[in-house]
Amino acid sequence: MNVTSVFSHLLAAFLVAMALLHTAAIAGEMGAAAVAQRADALLAEEQFGGDAQTQAASAASDEIFFRRLSLDLIGAPPSPEAVTAFSLDPSPDKRAKSVERLLADERFGQNWARYWRDVIMFRRSEDRGLIAARAAEQYLTDAFNNNKPWDQIARDFITATGDVQQAGTTAIVMAQNGNSEDVTAEVSRIFMGIQIQCAQCHDHPTDRWKREQFHELAAFFPRIAVRPVRQDGRQRSFEVVSVDRGPKNKKNNNVRRGSLEHFMPDLDKPEEIGKQMEPVFFVGNQKLDSGKTDQERRGAVADWITARENEWFSKAFVNRMWSEMVGRGFYEPVDDIGPDRDCAAPKSLEYLADRFAANKYDVKWLMQTIALTDAYARRSASRVDDGSAPFAAACPQRLRGDQLYNALVGVLEIDDPSEDGQRGYRNLFSGPRGQVNATFGYDPSVRRDEVAGSIPQALFLMNSPQLARAINAGQQSTALGKLVAETLDDEAVVGELYLRCFAREPKAAEMRTCLAHVRTSTDRAEAFEDILWALLNSTEFLNRK
Amino acid sequence: MTMYLRHQIDVSVSRRGVIRRRDFLRGIAAASVAAGTLSWRDMVALHARELQQRGMSMILLWMAGGPSQFETFSPKPGHENGGETTAIDTSVAGIQISDNFPHVAKMMHEAALIRSMTSKEGSHPRASYLMHTGYLPTANVKYPAFGSIIAQQHPRAELDLPAFVRIGSGRDGSGGGLLGVEYDPFVMPVAGQLPTNAAPTTSTPRYTRRLDLLSRLESENAAAGAAFEVDEHQKLYKKASRMIMSSQMKAFDLEQEPAAMREAYGDSQFGLGCLLSRRLVESGVPCIEVTLGGWDTHNDNWPRVKALAGQVDQPLAALIADLKQRGMLESTLVVWMGEFGRTPRINPRAGRDHYPRAFNVLLAGGGIQGGQVIGSTDESGTEVADRPVEPTDLLQTFCKSLKIDPKFENIAPNGRPIKLVDGGTPVDELFA
Repeated sequence: MNVTSVFSHLLAAFLVAMALLHTAAIAGEMGAAAVAQRADALLAEEQFGGDAQTQAASAASDEIFFRRLSLDLIGAPPSPEAVTAFSLDPSPDKRAKSVERLLADERFGQNWARYWRDVIMFRRSEDRGLIAARAAEQYLTDAFNNNKPWDQIARDFITATGDVQQAGTTAIVMAQNGNSEDVTAEVSRIFMGIQIQCAQCHDHPTDRWKREQFHELAAFFPRIAVRPVRQDGRQRSFEVVSVDRGPKNKKNNNVRRGSLEHFMPDLDKPEEIGKQMEPVFFVGNQKLDSGKTDQERRGAVADWITARENEWFSKAFVNRMWSEMVGRGFYEPVDDIGPDRDCAAPKSLEYLADRFAANKYDVKWLMQTIALTDAYARRSASRVDDGSAPFAAACPQRLRGDQLYNALVGVLEIDDPSEDGQRGYRNLFSGPRGQVNATFGYDPSVRRDEVAGSIPQALFLMNSPQLARAINAGQQSTALGKLVAETLDDEAVVGELYLRCFAREPKAAEMRTCLAHVRTSTDRAEAFEDILWALLNSTEFLNRK
Repeated sequence: MTMYLRHQIDVSVSRRGVIRRRDFLRGIAAASVAAGTLSWRDMVALHARELQQRGMSMILLWMAGGPSQFETFSPKPGHENGGETTAIDTSVAGIQISDNFPHVAKMMHEAALIRSMTSKEGSHPRASYLMHTGYLPTANVKYPAFGSIIAQQHPRAELDLPAFVRIGSGRDGSGGGLLGVEYDPFVMPVAGQLPTNAAPTTSTPRYTRRLDLLSRLESENAAAGAAFEVDEHQKLYKKASRMIMSSQMKAFDLEQEPAAMREAYGDSQFGLGCLLSRRLVESGVPCIEVTLGGWDTHNDNWPRVKALAGQVDQPLAALIADLKQRGMLESTLVVWMGEFGRTPRINPRAGRDHYPRAFNVLLAGGGIQGGQVIGSTDESGTEVADRPVEPTDLLQTFCKSLKIDPKFENIAPNGRPIKLVDGGTPVDELFA
């Protein structure tokens, strides 16, 4: 070992020690529990006249909390064993411990990867954008499980190039087919929650952003192109490339396409090329000289979007995650925020966003913090506009397609066929998971109380032959078949079904109703099929309370 | 005020029964007192709109891939661009169409052609979206397909079936969009079978018992803080069960048609789709779309188009004749179209490529005066020579036929008002 290498090892050790010290200092100031407590206090001040005790709902039961937490963090309801263990655990910090355990579960990354995949793909301008969906899911799964900071994830997406089936970060560009104005709009919407594209054609009546500012932002993205990747003469994929030498392909008689610079059309003369725009970032007014390369442009705007000075970057993420977990956002919808929008509790959001930024955009830390608030732990109540303060209760939310699929697989103990190696446009919606996603998926950026159920959903749950087979109690091969054959005590079977489907025990009235159904049926196995059918078709199964 | 009125209209037609209608009148009266703006005539006008539209339907025959105008209804036999396709006479003197459509030729007096369709979109998804919605796709606003617009604008209280049915395996990006999943097309992959998951997997008594058990267990959950969700869920399940238990489901059963009728429509899958759409219109479904794919003939254009036309010709003619014979043609707009046309110049693979600059559409029924041709192209078929018709003009024409107000505005989730059709003017000459 030579001297240089010894030195470099020492240096590395020193840096690690410094980093640890630094982390410890942060933990002292910004531990998730402390921040959660402070956020609750601020929220009480802003929403409940300082008295959350009497003005807000009480804490949800352990069972409801645990199912909620499990669906939120790992995208699946807890197993009956996990619910039982949790309920019987006498330790006072069991909720906090289960938050940590679930954050460390591999399914955490996958759950949130699928969420963000949907955020991007539900706004695709063409179906062929779906080709990037799986790679995006893969990238995000790894990123979230390795707790890659949110600013780095954002930067990866904003600056992405490469084969869209390999480089998952190209998904936003691919979903918009490389159209620079649409990519601009999506980057702003997804990472800052600001719908600046409303100013694309005219100055927005209720916003401060001007039409020029949208087009100045678009001037960071004119050199992106999506091109086919061919192999052996056949098109295999697409790639996102930087085009720094012109001209790009001219298409559709559009004078502005195919240029290396962005032009703002003259509304009175749309057929003319319009005015060439210099890249300027509208939030902080940072400017870039013209003539820069694609990577210089996108790199610069990624820096400015993710900079700590840009409050909208941290606020957008905190607002979204809060909305997902508590069931209601500070701003709604989550992708339409900004200085001219109403915020339900501005100080609370400000505080959480500031801590999130100070914590270097640590995603797991933020999830942990939200999960530890009282606001998250409250009982849920249907969201009705009766004038009651936001966040006085948690809001029930419909399961996303993937969550529902995981729940069905868990309850029915059916095999989840491996999804490895699937590529292409359609595969996101093929296979059993894909079918459930196609039927039950929804755009996660819309307000949850505006997501409606559909007839095909009801028909699937009521009548699909696949589900009918999976609940067939006459077959020992099904979970229900085994349960009914092995458990002669009807009450125990009902209890087990409730535990599986709802992660709780049945109430006395529910038990009576179910037992009466068994008594009045001619066939015991069929009676339990009916009960399981009813539980799977119920609101409680389809929602997280 | 507009919002309020719209809400009242929605309420008035959303459910069967007189009680709702009475609520509606009471609501209007209260509103007019409050605002002092609504007269009795306004109320009657509101009501009249519903009456007027009753019974208007549309059947869209969607030719996915972009059918060649030359080999369908705009042949150019005298020009090298016309290829080997010959023109045949029709039941209307002076109108010739390609020899691929002998059955349609006999019904020409009932159908009108637009030979001067023109647009700028030459990519399949964008052009399909444009022809279905009248807008180009964007990330921010999901524009509804015209079928979904019809479903929204022609609510039918007595209808147990979905209001917008799409038949065939066509995959298209458009659907209910900003109108919500309620207006998404109900997809029937194959005509001649029951819709997917529409048959209970148990006997009817047991199925009823299951629903009853479900609703009793649901009440527990409603009491525990989910009253709104349970209520919505129950409504949806009532609607779904009403549909599958409805006698209107018979519409899906093509075995109920006499053999002669099935024969008239031909035995192709597309033919069955046409027959099914007529049955659905009879049952009160206001919009049906039947897809036939495969028109993207970049190579071997002639044999491929001949085969495709062979699947379309007889059913299209049979559909028009059948509707006419039943007295339903006046109230049913039949449209044959694809997303664009194909290049006049024949490529080296004996194919034609994408060409949005000049293509064609066939329309019949719904107040359209048959036996006429709108617009024309130059001799080579390269340019529209006369009376260009853009996609928005076509959608305006659909609105006029179906008595839908194109200026009606829906509100996008981001608060923007979105007109049903933005711009364009109807092709008035089509209406007698």
